Amino acid sequence: MRLVLYTGKGGVGKTTTAAATAACAAARGRRTLIVSADAAHSLGDVLERRLGPRPEPIAPSLDALEADARAEMARHWGRVRDYLLELFRHQGIEAVVAEELALLPGAEELATLLAVEEQGREGGYDLVVVDCAPTDATLRLLTLPDVARSALRIALKLQQAVSSVINPLARALIAAPLPDAAVFKDVERLLYGRLRRLRARIASPQTTVRLVVTPERMVIDEARRAFTDLCLFDIACDAVVMNRLLPDEARQEPFFRDWARVEHERRQEVESLFAPLPVLTAPLRDDEVLGLDALRAHGQALFQRVEPDAVLGVRPRVRFTAEKGGWRVELPLPHAERAGLDVSKLHGELIIRSGARRRALSLPRRLASLSLAGARFERDLLVVRLAPAGASASRLEAGPCA
Amino acid sequence: MRVILLTGKGGVGKTSLALATALGAAAHGHRAFVLSTDPAHSLGDALGFPIGPQPRTVCPGVTAQEVGALEELERSWSAIQGWLRGLLHEKTDELVAEELLVFPGLEELMALRAVREVEARGEYDVCVVDCAPTGATLRMLRFPDVLRIFMENFFEIERRGARWLRPVIGRLGGSKLVPQEEFFEAFERLYREIEDVRQILLDGDRTTARLVLNPARVVVEETRRSFAYLSLYGVSTDAVIVNRELPPRAAGGWFARWAEKERLEQAEIVASFPVPILHAPLHPKELIGVESLRRLGEEVYGSLDPAAVLAAGRPVRLRKDARGTVLEIELPNASKEDVDVGVHGAELHVRVRDAQRRISLPDSLVGRTVASARLEGGVLAVIFEA
Repeated sequence: MRLVLYTGKGGVGKTTTAAATAACAAARGRRTLIVSADAAHSLGDVLERRLGPRPEPIAPSLDALEADARAEMARHWGRVRDYLLELFRHQGIEAVVAEELALLPGAEELATLLAVEEQGREGGYDLVVVDCAPTDATLRLLTLPDVARSALRIALKLQQAVSSVINPLARALIAAPLPDAAVFKDVERLLYGRLRRLRARIASPQTTVRLVVTPERMVIDEARRAFTDLCLFDIACDAVVMNRLLPDEARQEPFFRDWARVEHERRQEVESLFAPLPVLTAPLRDDEVLGLDALRAHGQALFQRVEPDAVLGVRPRVRFTAEKGGWRVELPLPHAERAGLDVSKLHGELIIRSGARRRALSLPRRLASLSLAGARFERDLLVVRLAPAGASASRLEAGPCA
Repeated sequence: MRVILLTGKGGVGKTSLALATALGAAAHGHRAFVLSTDPAHSLGDALGFPIGPQPRTVCPGVTAQEVGALEELERSWSAIQGWLRGLLHEKTDELVAEELLVFPGLEELMALRAVREVEARGEYDVCVVDCAPTGATLRMLRFPDVLRIFMENFFEIERRGARWLRPVIGRLGGSKLVPQEEFFEAFERLYREIEDVRQILLDGDRTTARLVLNPARVVVEETRRSFAYLSLYGVSTDAVIVNRELPPRAAGGWFARWAEKERLEQAEIVASFPVPILHAPLHPKELIGVESLRRLGEEVYGSLDPAAVLAAGRPVRLRKDARGTVLEIELPNASKEDVDVGVHGAELHVRVRDAQRRISLPDSLVGRTVASARLEGGVLAVIFEA
C-alpha cells in the first residue's frame, strides 16, 4: 500500500492538492482512499460531500473519510472513554460538553493513524492519500507512535507506583471514581500492539511526505524548517508541490506585476532548497477548485508527466558505516542550524537535538553499546562517530557540535 | 490587561494581523505585547528579524515573544522532574525536561501559562495572541477544563494518600515510590496558574477572539464552525477580519471572475457573523516588516482603537436542562412571527425576516431532532431531544 501525506503551512492548498492527487490516481485506475487528518476538516467542503469516519464512496475507485477521534475513541477506547465520561458527570459537567472533553490530547493524531492503517489495509487500497493538519501537527502525527511509547512507559510506571497502592485506600474514602487496572489495560493493549505496526508503516519506503508551498516568503520559510525536521526524524519526502503560480494572463495585470517578478525568484529558490526533490507546479485558478470534476482536472495538470502514486524523488537517509576503530552514523539535515544542534548518547539511543526538536534515534544492536566519540556538522550532514568505550579519549568532542 | 486572541484557518494572515493589531494599539497609546502560541512560529518571518522565547522589543510600545514549550518546562518543573527521575531510575541522570515533552497537551499548557506571565509582569495594557490554526486553538481553550477535572479528582486524593503512605512505605524501603510534598506543591502552583488563565480567557470584558478569514468558500465554512465553537467554550468573538480582499483596481481582466466569487462570499460573511466586520485589502507586495504591518493596522482599524472590545456577549450558548440540550442564540430585536428555524445537516438555519443566519452545530448535536424552539427576551432557545 502506497501512503502519501501532504503537509505545509496553513492555507497553501493542502486539501485541494491531496484531493486532486486522489481523484487523478482513481481516474488512472488505482484503488484510492483519501483521509483528512486535520481536526478542522475541509475535505468535505472541497469534495462537496458530507464525510464521516468510515470510507464513503465518492467515485469509481475513490473513497474518502474524515478521521474522527471521537468515533475512534468509542470503538477502541471504550472503557477509557466511559471512565472519562463518568468522571466528568461526577463533576457536574453537562453531558454534551463532557463528550467534547473526553478527547485526550493526541487522540486526534492517533485516530488518523489507526484509520489509515486499518481502513487502508482492510479496503485493499493501492494508494492512501492523507490531507494533514499544518506542518507542526504533521510532525506530531508521524512521531506519535514513538512519543506514545515513551509517554505510556512513564504513565504506566506512575500508575503502578501511585494508584495501585493508593486506590484501594482512596476508594474507601472518596466517592469520585478512580481508574482501575482495566482502564490501564485497555490503553496498554491498544497502544503497544498497534504502535509497532504504525511505526513500521511510517518507516516503510512506500510512505512519503510531500510538502506543499506557494510562492510566499512566510510559506517557504516554514516549509524549509519542516523539511529539516522531517529529515531529523528520518521521514522520507518525495516531492514539493508549488501551488498558485500566476498564469500568463494574470501576470499581465499591472497590480500583480510585482507578484510575478517575486514569484520567479521564489520558484528558483524552492528548487534549490529542496533539491534533488522534483517540484510539481499548479497554477492559480480564477475559481476555487471545488467538486470532483475540478479536482480531477487539477490533478491531471499536476501529474502531467508523472504518476500520482509513484515515489517521485529520493533523498539520502540515515546511514551506518563501519570505519577504523568504530562506526560512523551519517544523518542528512538540510538547512539545520549548527548552533542549535546537540548530540548525546543514552543507552541504545542517539539523542539528537535540532532547535526545539529532539529525536531519539535507536541504534542497531551491535552499535548500542558503543560510546559517543565525536560529532560534527558540515554541508548539511551530521556525522557522529561511535567507538568502544575507553577507545576514545575525548568525550569532550561530544556535546554541542563545533 | 486586555487579551485579544487572533485565530482562523491556516494561511489567512493571523500573524500579520496580530502584529498589525498590536502596532495599532501602540499607536493609541497602549503598551502592547504580541505572544505567538503556534508551535510553528512565524512572528519573526513576518517582521523580517528573529523573535525567540525571550520577550523582545519590536518597536517602542510593542514587545513580542514566541512561546517555547521546552524553555518553559526547564524553568518551572524541577520538583516534578525530580520525582520522575527517582521513579524512572533506569535513566537516573539523564531524565531531562525534554522527556516530559512527550506528553501531548503540554504545549497547550505552556502557551496558556505564558499569557498569565505577560499579565503578571504588569507592564502591558494589551496582549495580542497569535494563535495556532483553529483546531489547535480550540484544544488549547479546552485544556483548563480537562486539567481542572484531573486536579479535583485525582490530585487531592493522591496527595492525601501520599501523606498517609509516606511514613509506612518509607519503613518498607519504597519511599521513592511516593512523591514528596514538593511534587504536589509544584503541580498545584502550575494548576493555580492555569486556573488564573481560565479566568482571564472567560472574562468577556477582558478577553475576546478575533477571527481572521479570506473571502473564499472553504475558509468561510471553517470560520463559521470556529465562531460557534468559541462561543460554546465561553469565549466571545468581538470582530471578524476579512483579509486579502481583491481591491477594485485589481478586480478586472483575468481576476474578474475571482472578484465576482468574492462578492458572493462577502454576503455569506455578513450572514454568518453577527459582529463588526473589518476589512484588509490584498496588497501588490508581501507585507513584511514593521512599517508595512503598521499601515495594515491603519487600514483594518481606521479610527477604531484596536484594543477596545468591539462587541460584547456570547451569541451562541449550550446548556442542558430538564427538557434536553438547549442551544441558545441571541436574537435581539426579533419577534416570534419573524423567526423560522430548521436543521440542515450539521447546521442550524435561523431565518429572521429576510436575513438568514447559519450556525454550525457542535458534533454532539448533529443528527439529533429538534424538540421545540422558542423565543424569549431576545434569546432563541432551540431544544434538542436527548
